[in-house]
Amino acid sequence: MNLLSSRLQLFCLAAAAVMLLVLTLQWSTMERRSAVLESYGAAAEIAGMLGLSDLALSTEARYTRHPAASDRVVPFMDHPCAIEHFPSGSFFRPVQP
Amino acid sequence: MILRHSFQRQLNLLDYALGSLTRKKTKNFGMVIVFSLVIFLFSSLLLLSRGLSELATEVLQHAPDITVQQLSAGRQVALRADAAAQLENIFGIRSVTSRIWGYYFDEGNGANYTVVGLDVTPSELPGISAEARAGHWPKNGEMQGVVLSAGVRRTMGLGDRRSFSLFRPDLELVSFTTKGVFDNRTAPVTADMMLVSLAAARNLFGMEEDQITDLLVSVGNPRETETIAGKIAERLPGVRVLTRNQILKTYNVVFGWRSGFGSICLLASLTAFAILAYDKASGLSKEDVREVAILKVLGWQTADVMAVRFWESALVSLTAFFLGYSLAWVHLLWGQGALFQPLLLGWSVLRPELHLVPPILAEDILLIVAITVLPYLCATVVPAWRSSVVRADTVV
Repeated sequence: MNLLSSRLQLFCLAAAAVMLLVLTLQWSTMERRSAVLESYGAAAEIAGMLGLSDLALSTEARYTRHPAASDRVVPFMDHPCAIEHFPSGSFFRPVQP
Repeated sequence: MILRHSFQRQLNLLDYALGSLTRKKTKNFGMVIVFSLVIFLFSSLLLLSRGLSELATEVLQHAPDITVQQLSAGRQVALRADAAAQLENIFGIRSVTSRIWGYYFDEGNGANYTVVGLDVTPSELPGISAEARAGHWPKNGEMQGVVLSAGVRRTMGLGDRRSFSLFRPDLELVSFTTKGVFDNRTAPVTADMMLVSLAAARNLFGMEEDQITDLLVSVGNPRETETIAGKIAERLPGVRVLTRNQILKTYNVVFGWRSGFGSICLLASLTAFAILAYDKASGLSKEDVREVAILKVLGWQTADVMAVRFWESALVSLTAFFLGYSLAWVHLLWGQGALFQPLLLGWSVLRPELHLVPPILAEDILLIVAITVLPYLCATVVPAWRSSVVRADTVV
């Protein structure tokens, strides 16, 4: 007795193709990951050597360039009526004192 | 035999659910697309945050044990150079290094550079590989040598030229000569950096001879870091003492997926989707009611109709999950998180390339399923029940 109708067979084939694609993607990820982790090692050595405390991701404001060396009032101290206005400020959560 | 019968029954119900989905393909296709987009958005942000957190943890575990900065009226100000001498007799401190660092705003292109002035002695530092850098470091007291990132050179438009000039606060020009370029692999921490000697940084920023920006303290026993930090704070009034643990904690919080923009964006999209899913699934059309009534006449039970509806929801949500989650990986691996990069980098002129490959964690996948797939399945239970309890005699 045939367990699967033609529609189910098609569905299983599509599901298998999707799984194959997902596995290929994950394999590609693992391959890239080793190279990226190696580059992190090089960055870590420089950070240790120069005593760096922050990542150079966003350079638009000092509190997003150096979030670890800032405190929560920094975004508002550029002038007496300053409000936080840099776009990256919405990505970086205020630092706990 | 019973098991086989039960399995065959579920296969038949799945087959029927597939047919049912195909009959209403426009509605279901739209649902899969919207659902995939929500899962893509959520997964992308989660993977990006995971990648950034891992980058911060891996790189900043080598941050200084303790950084000491002077504060005045809530702002960081210069520290007196003799502060280092006041710390040297604290038991447990291995070394104290003076440093000057600050920002240099390039009016020509609007870029902010981070200038670090440090007397580097690589031979005294074990574990520093030659591959991490190119060229050589500025020598102690050297006034013109600078090591900078390829991004800074590109932004300044130096091309093949090795020399360039920067303005001191009194508008006098100071010349620098490129002695080396940071390896591209170190870009996560050096993308905007110029490394010069302590004397050159003092000259560039127009600081007094006895002024420095901060002190880097190396501690012999990491367990004593907090105690030593407390002693430093007592000995130097008004200073901010920053330990490596505080730095790592800060970055764990900064890139937490629950924080800032991510939460607002995700909450809004998830709520909108939950409303859409409930609305779509609860809108019983005449055809739906008629279909259930005919099935009841043919001998289907309420449980069978519920099972079909469950299979429909599971197929829609799992298809959307695989589509959205895979797209999120493609977005991060090949697109470098292009959707969130403008927000992360903001108005920065220097834009470091992000090569993030976060780990594949079961907890992340479970979190995505729990926040997206499960609510959808729950949202469709009530409409499924309503459609399955239709009395055949009231319709047919």
